[in-house]
Amino acid sequence: MKVSMINLGKKYEGRENFTIRDINLEIEDRAFCVILGPSGCGKSTLLRMVAGLNSITEGELYFGDRLVNKVEPKDRDIAMVFQSYALYPHMTVYDNIAFSLKMRKERKQVIHHRVLEAAKVLQLEEYLYSKPSDISGGQRQRVALGRAMVRKPQVFLMDEPLSNLDAKLREQMRIELVRLHKRLETTSIYVTHDQAEAMTMADRIVLLDQGNIQQNGTPSDLYNRPANLFVAKFIGSPTINVFRGTIQTGQFVSDSGQVRIRLNDRDQEATRNHDGKAVYVGIRSERFLPETSLRDGEDAITATIDVIENLGKEQSLVVKLPDNTELVMTMPGHLHFGVDEAHAFGIDPHALHLFDGETEVRLN
Amino acid sequence: MAILNREVKKKSGDLYLSDKPPLTTAGKVGLGFTYFILIVFAFIVLWPIYQIVVNSFNGAQARNIILGGGFSFSLRHFEHLFQETNYLHWVKNTIFIGIATAIITVLIVSFTGYAFSRFRFKGKKFSLLLIMLIQVIPTFAGITAYFTLHQIIVGVVPFFSRQMLLVMIYAGGGIASNTFILKGYMDSISPELDEAAHIDGSTNMQTYRLIIMPLVRPMLAIIALWSFIIPFLDYMLPSILLNRNQDYTLATGLFTLISDQRTMNQPAFAAGGMLTALPIVTFFMLLQNQLVSGLSAGSVKG
Ligand SMILES: Nc1ncnc2c1ncn2[C@@H]1O[C@H](COP(=O)(O)OP(=O)(O)O)[C@@H](O)[C@H]1O
Ligand SMILES: [Mg+2]
Repeated sequence: MKVSMINLGKKYEGRENFTIRDINLEIEDRAFCVILGPSGCGKSTLLRMVAGLNSITEGELYFGDRLVNKVEPKDRDIAMVFQSYALYPHMTVYDNIAFSLKMRKERKQVIHHRVLEAAKVLQLEEYLYSKPSDISGGQRQRVALGRAMVRKPQVFLMDEPLSNLDAKLREQMRIELVRLHKRLETTSIYVTHDQAEAMTMADRIVLLDQGNIQQNGTPSDLYNRPANLFVAKFIGSPTINVFRGTIQTGQFVSDSGQVRIRLNDRDQEATRNHDGKAVYVGIRSERFLPETSLRDGEDAITATIDVIENLGKEQSLVVKLPDNTELVMTMPGHLHFGVDEAHAFGIDPHALHLFDGETEVRLN
Repeated sequence: MAILNREVKKKSGDLYLSDKPPLTTAGKVGLGFTYFILIVFAFIVLWPIYQIVVNSFNGAQARNIILGGGFSFSLRHFEHLFQETNYLHWVKNTIFIGIATAIITVLIVSFTGYAFSRFRFKGKKFSLLLIMLIQVIPTFAGITAYFTLHQIIVGVVPFFSRQMLLVMIYAGGGIASNTFILKGYMDSISPELDEAAHIDGSTNMQTYRLIIMPLVRPMLAIIALWSFIIPFLDYMLPSILLNRNQDYTLATGLFTLISDQRTMNQPAFAAGGMLTALPIVTFFMLLQNQLVSGLSAGSVKG
């Protein structure tokens, strides 16, 4: 089902300001939409408004063509997976999964059939008669998913469902969740603060900060064309390198004067009105070029290597410019670098992200 | 190698395995002192109970208990209790009042506790505090009001007995503190459980009955037990409110055996007091299964 939000806003009782406001968002039918943002930005608040657990202060929320602002959670045809899983501790896994069907007075055979089906998909068959306290964290996570999926809801809501799992299990569950989403053919809204999760799972990412949508797009949009400096910094690991400086006749000059980058034609065009004004330039760690592949006349910066993190296939270099600016670069693993060595690095002129110095909005 | 092994084995016989550091001399003296105090206290508690048991079976005792006399086993004090007094009535009355108090208290406190724990409403903070404050005034101070109240209610509901009034006073008196305790217990249960249940399609009532109540059962059992015991312990109110010997509770009834020269029988009083423990112990055993706690474990991550 399509979920549309029009000027949605929430102000909690006893708070001075709106926690989130002016949220305009359309989530297509069967999309996997990830709501991403730093802790405390109002992601859960937004999700809980969709679930009906929080009231809507202003704006309209539609499921399909139906206005659901005042519809009870149980009548919204949704399912939700909580961060804490919220399993009913006194019930067996079977009863946990069956609970929502029982509440809807489904026939016994139907319930039994659906529970077994869900258990099979989630590999829970062996644990159906255990209590939640007797199974592992990963299995509890699956029970929570099972509980949400048996009813075949129209909208599937998840609030940081993987944050309590260890790294290995999390990676595995990411793939399973996407698979489950495809299988259920529902609209999924998934909340997380982990950009890697968002990048790997989402059809669409909605990046929230300070109660507003910073950018709404595909993972590749957010990575390759961040709408503002916040998005650029939030998405990607290692974090994007940012220089502050000015545009001087088609060239970027950093505040300390250490970094000079000639802009390509497209970027020159985009910054025509910014001559002499402050801008930020962002460049991702993998867009620096190693010394060996530098061509004559290309811009290069010279930096001292401070720390090397070798991951095998690639290595992260933390380097320092003479003015003590720290940069992170990602280089192929087979190249040889040593700590405290000085190297020249090139900058790919097509990889620059330019942002206004005051509004921090993207220029190019 | 073999020698070494044997040595290790020999030593393991007197390995020091406790997690606590070994006692110093001062520590040992302190420990001895602690044991001494505990034994004295145990004696203070157990001696009267011992006397009660012995004297209630002692046929050599007459109407007044005399310590240091002879002992001859007999059940005649029990016979006196069952045949010459309204003892069985008293037991029945007390159990009735106890059970009614427990049921009413648990029912009311279930709702108030849930409401105070889960819902936001105007005056939430103050209302509970106010009731608590009012309860500081001894129940006894309201005695004239109770009489008037009873008369008014009897006007409307003729079969409303003095015992029922007693139940009302006991149950009402416990509501504030029990609500407070139950609310605290419920607050420790994640509200996400309620929310999950709501999304799963249950109403507030169903959420309470199917999710919350099973989890707070140990606390409800304790509240039920406390409420059940009240009429066994209270002497003052029943002695004023109840006026026929056969309406008495155990406390007031038994008291007639030591207060009134005409009905004086101290060994029977001891025997009756001893038997009083039976219904309480029975009730406790019935509730014991419910008292098993630790159900909340496992709902939230691990
Ligand atoms: N029930 C509430 N009452 C008042 N303020 C709340 C309530 N729930 C959340 N908030 C506030 O709203 C803001 C956003 O919270 P939340 O949506 O949980 O953030 P996120 O899930 O993105 O970490 C926080 O500042 C939080 O303190
Ligand atoms: Mg949150």
